[in-house]
Amino acid sequence: MAIMSGWRGTKFALVVHPELGVLSQYQALLSKSGFTTVVARDLPTALLAITQHYFDVSIVSSQLSEAGDGWPLAGVLHLVFPGSYIGVLVPGADLLTLQSAINSGVQDVYEITQSPKSVVSAVVAAAKLAESKRPPSEGSVQ
Amino acid sequence: MLRKPSLLIVDDEPNVLLTLKLVLEEDGYQISTAGSFAEAEKLMLASGNFDAILTDLWMEKEDIGLELARSASKLNPRPVIVIFTGYGSAGNARAALGVPVDYFALKPLDVDELKRVLNRLVVANTAERRWQS
Repeated sequence: MAIMSGWRGTKFALVVHPELGVLSQYQALLSKSGFTTVVARDLPTALLAITQHYFDVSIVSSQLSEAGDGWPLAGVLHLVFPGSYIGVLVPGADLLTLQSAINSGVQDVYEITQSPKSVVSAVVAAAKLAESKRPPSEGSVQ
Repeated sequence: MLRKPSLLIVDDEPNVLLTLKLVLEEDGYQISTAGSFAEAEKLMLASGNFDAILTDLWMEKEDIGLELARSASKLNPRPVIVIFTGYGSAGNARAALGVPVDYFALKPLDVDELKRVLNRLVVANTAERRWQS
């Protein structure tokens, strides 16, 4: 099980979205919430970032260069950082979208119509709650 | 000697139960079956150590598979939880995401995909348990 990065004082967040304006808003909001934020506009950059940092929180668009290509990235994030929080931005939360979310190991989905501010507050609250529920051996280095 | 991973399969349709039992037994799992939520919960609490629980969503009550998934998610060690249903909706999928469930499959089941996914999830969960202990 992954050792969370809280012990080193800094938490890392990854935001993957094709639009620079959206990335910039998420980066500002997450930084304000105390996260060191890494952003990526495409799959190769996101994969490179995954090899460089431990991410406690990730926010990924379900559509990067084509519809649905954010889901495999969310699946990779879940496998690499099993204890971390992953939220996916989706065009609509229908049955197949929610099925993709469950099967990719995502914690929650957020509709793209939601403001970045409301997504970040929900993500930060959910990540805190998930961490508080985690057994002590999982949450920190003893 | 390596022990076989243990599965609890829960469905109120005996044919589905039998088919899944045969298919997954052939794939190397040790199978227990239950035909209702109550029977499954009894088995789950008595044994307490299934590697995975596969449950139908609608049995004696609508969405009762979610109740079983919630009980299973509180077990320590937590088993892999798979829900399958012919009555998938955004509502019950949203609820399953909140449990959380590891895999949500729609009927008719793709048995090859189920075997592949189950193998991946059980291996990962076993590795995680070993790491924690």
